[in-house]
Amino acid sequence: MSMRAESSYHYLYVLPVILTLFFIIIIPIAYNIWLSFYEKRVGEEPVFAYLNNYIRLLSSPITMVSLINTFIYAFTSVALKLLIGLGAALLLNTKFRGRSFVRVLSIFPWAVPSYIAAVMFWFNFARDGAFNKVLSLAGIGPIHWLGYDHAMTSVIILNIWHGWPFFMMGLLAGLQAVPQELYEASEIDGARAHQRFFYITLPLLKPVMLTVVLLSLIWTMGEFAQIYLTTAGGPIDRTLTIPVAAYRLAFTGEANISLAAAYSVLMLPLYLLLIFVTLRYMRA
Amino acid sequence: MGVLLNRIIKGCVIAVSLALLIPWFLIPSYWTFKTAFSRPEDAWTWIPSSFTLQNFASLAAPTLEDYFKGHGMRAAIPIPISQAIRNSFIVSLTSSLISVTIGFLAGYALTRFQYRFKNFMQGFIVFSYTFPVFIIVIPLLMIYRTLGLYNTLLGLAIAHLAYTVPVSTLMIRSYMVSVPKELEEAAMVDGATRIQALIRVILPVSLPAIVTAFTFAFTLSWGDLLFSIILISSPELYTVPIVVQFFLWGGEIVDPGGLAALAVFIGIIPVISYGILQRYVIQGLMRGALRYG
Repeated sequence: MSMRAESSYHYLYVLPVILTLFFIIIIPIAYNIWLSFYEKRVGEEPVFAYLNNYIRLLSSPITMVSLINTFIYAFTSVALKLLIGLGAALLLNTKFRGRSFVRVLSIFPWAVPSYIAAVMFWFNFARDGAFNKVLSLAGIGPIHWLGYDHAMTSVIILNIWHGWPFFMMGLLAGLQAVPQELYEASEIDGARAHQRFFYITLPLLKPVMLTVVLLSLIWTMGEFAQIYLTTAGGPIDRTLTIPVAAYRLAFTGEANISLAAAYSVLMLPLYLLLIFVTLRYMRA
Repeated sequence: MGVLLNRIIKGCVIAVSLALLIPWFLIPSYWTFKTAFSRPEDAWTWIPSSFTLQNFASLAAPTLEDYFKGHGMRAAIPIPISQAIRNSFIVSLTSSLISVTIGFLAGYALTRFQYRFKNFMQGFIVFSYTFPVFIIVIPLLMIYRTLGLYNTLLGLAIAHLAYTVPVSTLMIRSYMVSVPKELEEAAMVDGATRIQALIRVILPVSLPAIVTAFTFAFTLSWGDLLFSIILISSPELYTVPIVVQFFLWGGEIVDPGGLAALAVFIGIIPVISYGILQRYVIQGLMRGALRYG
């Protein structure tokens, strides 16, 4: 077999993966863009509508509201997941009795499917549920967790509970890669614990920390199941994030698929930007 | 003296952190577990008065009494829950088997062969891994309607490849880097073709990576809600995430025990598999999913 024939036949190995992903990711994105320029009225064939859908979206409050909600939701959630994840990773990096047990246990929330975590929180957010039972021990009256005032906090709590072990695992692996000699040397030089943390641990942990934060940011901004199953974007638009808004436009009210397509296309650059930053970063 | 003080401080810090950490992940899970094993009248009490497995039994074979739960709303669930579980199994199994098979071939090839667009291909796989699926689900629905894949379990399994293929390929690829080339080269010198060498030599040594990739793929498909609710419409094809919604009626939980039992059953499968494969899961995540190139 000649060199050339051998190498073109090598493409057969990767072709199934590339074609599959092309078919379920790239073609739908392209088709979405095409759809977004059409308008469909009830009982009529879709007609080319230039930028009508976009103009409508830009003058609609849903665009700004969903964008702001997504930022509040994702940034708060990611920041707190990082904080808890870092704390847990530092804890599990020290030796104590029962450490491996705690380590196995702490992966548990992350291993549970996202929509099951939401179902579990139905039991926590309920009027007689776990959270109000705990609060009543402290004499605090029942909170309406999914009501207007607390809905955003509640979906953020759910997201943090489900997602922090991902940070813990990433950061723990990062901690274990820090050479022990560095700590020993600094100890001889008389560095204190907090100095070791800020001058050795944190700088060396930075690459893995950034990767985990970026990935989690993309996924949290794309989270659908947890919000859909708890508040469905409500009450009113209190927890309406981008994925839930896209669903709402497409399947509820006037069920306007083209408008939903235009909405997704409008939000696409935001996600693409984040993904490309992440990709560049992961490669470095 | 200083050493002793340090140890005491360290012990206190560990104790306080554990005291914060453990309730944080146990309390939110406790209610579901407790309710799954308790009788309906104990659904909203801290400690159940008796232990029962009836909630789990009701998933497979509901009694008349089970149907009347939630003022009869439990009877409004259009299919037996066991059938929804079966549908979910079929979808996740199909999707993860396809993804591990093609991911194995691609993962192998990307570490062995030179391609002109190799960096681009790898970048594309990582791109797909991070891409949020809510953007593709609506156009995919339209495409599925024309292709006849709408409202089929196969169609749903294919849609789930968006989750399962990138993760399987990346994990197997990262493992293959550490499998020495000499292994299959020796087999090929002995007259085996590359495919034979791949199946007889490479496949057995890559088994840990394949099992981990399969677990990840299965779990991702198993945990999907978005594709299910949009691409399936006939009750007999309902998967678990669709059926779960019937348990909430006007903000109240219909049959808390049955729902909790379902949540425990669906959740326990990935929890146990990740628990068993914990070492490989963390390694795979670190090498395959957080790093590439």
